Amino acid sequence: MASQVLPLELIDKCIGSRIWVVMKSEREFTGTLLGFDDFVNMVLEDVTEYEMTAQGTKKTKLGQTLLNGNNICMLIPGSDGPES
Amino acid sequence: MDDSPPPPPNDAPDTQTPPPPQQTSIHTGSPTDFLKGVVGKKVIVRLNSGVDYRGVLSCLDGYMNIALEQTEEHVEGNVTNRYGDAFIRGNNVLYISAAEAI
Repeated sequence: MASQVLPLELIDKCIGSRIWVVMKSEREFTGTLLGFDDFVNMVLEDVTEYEMTAQGTKKTKLGQTLLNGNNICMLIPGSDGPES
Repeated sequence: MDDSPPPPPNDAPDTQTPPPPQQTSIHTGSPTDFLKGVVGKKVIVRLNSGVDYRGVLSCLDGYMNIALEQTEEHVEGNVTNRYGDAFIRGNNVLYISAAEAI
């Protein structure tokens, strides 16, 4: 049987590298992934938050951050976000 | 019957045994470790509504229920309220960000 990579194994491989997190709402985060748990709550470092509003995109810089997994929609490993 | 003598005890010198893991505040990066590290530090808590609460994290639990001290409520960058103590129910929390070095 071909070996398969489970989704959370893929995210585990991303620990230490940059990751792009897209939320269910018009909000995105990029940062260096330090860790995560079974709920996909994520600890990120050197974070930039992007809030997409009708007025444009608002950027916020953050330090070490625990992001609640409840509203996470998609994870893009190795990407530095909407501006890359 | 196997009557061979038991293997000799491992009499390697004590310097060979690895030191016990350091149980200090070193965090491995998991959410639990992060939360242990930020208690007592200044934090920014953003709710799903976009409102920020900045203050000293006094305690929290696995639901991300949070008790803050010296809390400032920020709406769109402006301070709108100050509270000595504030409790935030965890389901509203978008993120907890350290506002000082952990």
